[in-house]
Amino acid sequence: MNKILPLFLLLTFLTNKETNKNQFIARQGQVSFFSYASVENIEAQNNQVLSILDIKNKKIAVSMLMRAFVFKKDLMYEHFNESYIESDIYPKATFEGDILDFDTSLSNQTKIIRGTLTIHGKSKNIDIKTKIEKKAKTFILSGEYNVLVKDFDIKIPPILTSNIAKIINIKFRFQYQPYEE
Amino acid sequence: MKNKLTYKLLLAFCLVANSSVKAQNLLDKLDKEYAKITLYEIATFKTTKIGLSHSIETRKKGAIQISLYNRYWDIPNFQSNRFLADEVNTRYGLEYSFSDNFTFGFGYSNFDKISDGYAKYRILKQSKGLKSNYLSITLLQGVSQRKTRNANANLYGVNTSSNSYAFTSQILIARKFSPELSLQIMPSFIHRASSPTNNDPNNHFAIGFGGRQKISNHTSIVSEYYYVANPIKSISTFNAFMLGINWEVSDLMLQFHLTNARNFAEDTFITQTTNNFNFKDPNLHFGFNATFIIHTKKKKLK
Repeated sequence: MNKILPLFLLLTFLTNKETNKNQFIARQGQVSFFSYASVENIEAQNNQVLSILDIKNKKIAVSMLMRAFVFKKDLMYEHFNESYIESDIYPKATFEGDILDFDTSLSNQTKIIRGTLTIHGKSKNIDIKTKIEKKAKTFILSGEYNVLVKDFDIKIPPILTSNIAKIINIKFRFQYQPYEE
Repeated sequence: MKNKLTYKLLLAFCLVANSSVKAQNLLDKLDKEYAKITLYEIATFKTTKIGLSHSIETRKKGAIQISLYNRYWDIPNFQSNRFLADEVNTRYGLEYSFSDNFTFGFGYSNFDKISDGYAKYRILKQSKGLKSNYLSITLLQGVSQRKTRNANANLYGVNTSSNSYAFTSQILIARKFSPELSLQIMPSFIHRASSPTNNDPNNHFAIGFGGRQKISNHTSIVSEYYYVANPIKSISTFNAFMLGINWEVSDLMLQFHLTNARNFAEDTFITQTTNNFNFKDPNLHFGFNATFIIHTKKKKLK
């Protein structure tokens, strides 16, 4: 028994390592958002979004720095971080969820991802319709989603309500590659 | 014996390795993937002026800033029906940022007829992460020219073209201590023309203290005070003080303050504020600054 136990543990350890073959990472994921308002349209893009995809457990996680969003106008960047999203206090936005009915063998599928979106320190359970493409053993996930500004406790002063849309459209695209630790 | 030890070690290693791999959730894994970067502090102050004098902030490349600064005050026992206040001093200003760190600006104020210009350069930015700086430092060089000759004969003496100029050099040092609190100190050197008939110094040393405390995401309380080490002797002067509120409304920055300073040019309000801060006429000045920012260069999104 003394000889079997470490062998067994070593095996499970190796199989655990093996699970990393089921994990894929995107280091330059793209997330952009749009606010269509009467005064002006606001658009921002983040090309350094991190995401990890676990095809065995059908799980996905996304993490991004709010300061990495690029705006057309510098003042928009400053106000987004300072006055609205408070990136000093809440530097990241994250998402963690499960891909429902994920079939890794299909090359093209559209599935629902159910999970928790956290922005500005507030979490919300959401369902996102996502297009999943499989290309040369890696995956590309893309889609869009609308969030309500008030769901995340982001305060817009009454005088500026016509500057910022109540519903913000978010677009995303993640291109994954095999994950190596 | 030795075998038993290696066996135990191997067992311990396998247990630890197993648990550590299993305990890691996906988001924790992503946290480790973030590259180390230098993160510069933004908006130590939201405006390029705290109220009276400059903050360490400059606008980004290609930004044009149009500013309108006003000071209102009353003349005691003055029989008038003037709108709003008895007297008003307005400065019309224009600024352009040649780069993210260098700004040039000029303006004209109509009551004291002073034209002023300045160059502002950021030499150090507060940051954290890969490269961390504790402070932000900005250099400011200002020049002003008085159009009104002999407004105070004692102070300036005979009219010449050279004695209407004054020069201000400031080192602005600031730190954003928390998302709400920023403090700034401003060692200043002022050179100005002086009358040969009085004992007034030509060179003044002064130090200013400023700060802001955010009370909401868009508004903050600001205050400033200037101490002059060698003040003018021929007239009685007081140290400039300001207490106010700054309000950010999208592209427009509004500043409201109470102060004893009547002038806008640095050299003038630091060394020649002739009334102390109190609520009596004509000592109380109400200040209203409006600044509008236009971006001539816009970033392209891929």
